Amino acid sequence: MTSLRWIGLIAMKDLRQEFRSGGRVIAMLAFAVLACFLFSFSLDRSRVDGLDVAAGLLWLTVLFSSIAGAGRTFDAEEDDGAFRHLLLAPVSRHAIYLGKTVANLVLVCLVAALAAAALTIFFGIAEPGSAAHHASVLFPGAIGLAAAGTFFGLISRHSTLGDSLLPVLTLPVLAPLISLGATASSRVFLGRPWAEIGGSVRLLWAIAIGLVVVGSLLFRYITEE
Amino acid sequence: MDADTREGAKGMQMSGRGAGKLGRVGFGLAAAGITAILVVHWMMAFWVPTEAAQGVVQRIFYIHVPAAWTTFVAVGLAALASLAFLWLEDERWDATAVAAAEGALVFGAIMLLTGPLWGRIAWGTYWTWEPRLTLTLLMWFMYVGYFLVRESVASPARARRFASVVAVIGSLNIPLIHVSPDWFPSLHPQAVVIKPDGPDLPADMLITLLTSLAGFTMLFFGLFTLRYAIIILHRQRRIGAPSRLATGH
Repeated sequence: MTSLRWIGLIAMKDLRQEFRSGGRVIAMLAFAVLACFLFSFSLDRSRVDGLDVAAGLLWLTVLFSSIAGAGRTFDAEEDDGAFRHLLLAPVSRHAIYLGKTVANLVLVCLVAALAAAALTIFFGIAEPGSAAHHASVLFPGAIGLAAAGTFFGLISRHSTLGDSLLPVLTLPVLAPLISLGATASSRVFLGRPWAEIGGSVRLLWAIAIGLVVVGSLLFRYITEE
Repeated sequence: MDADTREGAKGMQMSGRGAGKLGRVGFGLAAAGITAILVVHWMMAFWVPTEAAQGVVQRIFYIHVPAAWTTFVAVGLAALASLAFLWLEDERWDATAVAAAEGALVFGAIMLLTGPLWGRIAWGTYWTWEPRLTLTLLMWFMYVGYFLVRESVASPARARRFASVVAVIGSLNIPLIHVSPDWFPSLHPQAVVIKPDGPDLPADMLITLLTSLAGFTMLFFGLFTLRYAIIILHRQRRIGAPSRLATGH
């Protein structure tokens, strides 16, 4: 069986499990909507224009929601010992890591889509920019978030600090991604042409691919027993 | 002896006499480093001329730049030792990484404190979100994470592997930090010493800087060597193999 097929099977297994239990998906989506809701009335709207802050708030919402979700990536499998059995299966560690990253990527994309819609509604943004451009900016960002979240999620799972360790490890790695993504999204919200956005998106892809490659290469060292 | 302890025993063959010798070398280097740094303070106060454009505040350069240099040496050493540990699983490489990472945190803190003090006068602000400062701060926080991982993972073998991975990831932006002032022109000064056409500092400033660089480097390697010896002795004691230094034989 090829690695690609294993990646697909592991991702499908994780997603089926997530959507059957529903807990983590609902928690991440609810967190995203509530965060946007709180942002909308914690800012003085008479002085702050929604268009000016929407991009930053969108990326922060997706970031925190992803981190909250990533911390639970391995919970179910670790609790009942299934993850140890998965490691014993004749599957490469790269495939396990990439499969779990793909599953997390689907969840992060859902969160990003919902957060973008929620911010547009709560901030009353009449013309939020091209949906295709938003997706082109958010997708590589979501890959980076899923890659780092999956990797550090396993480390924090074994830490007595639990979820409090995850932001300390992920935020320094993800800060350049968030900064570039927020800059690009801000230009999309303002309806700027693709020529002004493309450079940031290329850098976003470079960082996202870098995170996937590094995570994939180092994953076997954090799964050795 | 459990699995973690057995793994911890790998590479723990340093004798107490060896540890004692390392300790003396470390102490000597640290003392030489402190002496050199005291000399640099005298040079800063009484010998080196005041820089014309920035005035007296520029003298913090002789502390800030060597602290930054030492931080990057420490981070590079911690990352290489962590890679070696992941590859060879020899405990001594992990001890090397821990000792270097402690240096990275301490000298990094000196760099991150002196930079804003200089920036407040030179740039008019304590902090500016330019690439070199931002990436350096993020790298420092990764090394805070390195120690949190070590302390918070229950299995020592697993904690060492996890921390090694964090150290490797934390060092990945060293090349970016180095080239960032050239790639993203900003307020941060560009290199004045390590340049293709040679240093462009006046001789007395260059001598002061090089003395400080030597002092900081010796202090770091002195503390690093001392910590390495202490970590090895501590682990030998934990796994029940007391060294001759500990038993007095």
